[in-house]
Amino acid sequence: MHYRKDINLLDFHRSLDKNTPLSYKGPIDDQILQAFGTYIEGLLKESPKASRKVFKIFVELAQNISYYSAEKSILLNNKEIGTGMVLINELADCYMFMTGNLVQNDDIVSIIEKSEIINSLDREELREYKRQQRKLPPGKRGGAHIGLIQVALTSANPLDIEVNPVDDDHSFFSIAVKIDK
Amino acid sequence: MMENLEIEGSHKNFFIPSVNFNAKTGICEITGESFLEDTVEFYRHLVDWLDNYIEDVKGPMALIIKLSYFNTSTSRSILDILNLLKDYEDDGGEVVVNWHFDENDVDMEEDIDDYIIDTGLDINKIPY
Repeated sequence: MHYRKDINLLDFHRSLDKNTPLSYKGPIDDQILQAFGTYIEGLLKESPKASRKVFKIFVELAQNISYYSAEKSILLNNKEIGTGMVLINELADCYMFMTGNLVQNDDIVSIIEKSEIINSLDREELREYKRQQRKLPPGKRGGAHIGLIQVALTSANPLDIEVNPVDDDHSFFSIAVKIDK
Repeated sequence: MMENLEIEGSHKNFFIPSVNFNAKTGICEITGESFLEDTVEFYRHLVDWLDNYIEDVKGPMALIIKLSYFNTSTSRSILDILNLLKDYEDDGGEVVVNWHFDENDVDMEEDIDDYIIDTGLDINKIPY
């Protein structure tokens, strides 16, 4: 008997090889943040330096999804929580941390612009950009406008950003961050 | 008499730093990790206390920071605190800032350097 038509779990499983210790799609609430945070600390305890970096990057990107994803889930306590994807991939010389979520098309230009600025700057320039942006008044969720900048500084590698249109109002925004072992 | 500000830290869903602000000695410590549900609200209490101390007590102040981790919203609140202390120092207040950090955490040392550039405060970097 086959109920399923569009979703093939085996294909999904195959698309994530054995070096993908974590993949998730769903709401990113406080409990998920904590559970994944603890899991990442345990997963990478062999390399404390990479562990600290992956954890810092995870917090910034996961919190961005939680606050700003255009796809929302309503939890039991009626809280509206941003939904998105989180994935960790381990390669020979680095960890790859990826997130993806829906973004309103109205917001996409500013995100791409910011990402391009970040990738065009060297480390010293990036630090200066962070100091400039941090001085601005806080965002509506208490944000400091420097999440992506901090992610780039922490990873010490360029951000790999992709934006694909989904419908008239939304695009899928994904970011891959490389953390050297 | 102004009261001390004491907040017990925890490492649960969120990471709450331990806060120990002493109105008698002027020694103000923030230790642990900082990743909060409502960062602005949490640090508003600290800023209000420091404001009162500067207004009423007008004594010397030693800010001691020993945070092994903080997120970017916290980083903005720390900037507010340091700017407040810099203003106090410029007005004649006696201010010392000691920042303890893991000697292997080069990113943290860079963060401290950025605060020194940003605020113009002399921050003593103390590796452990």
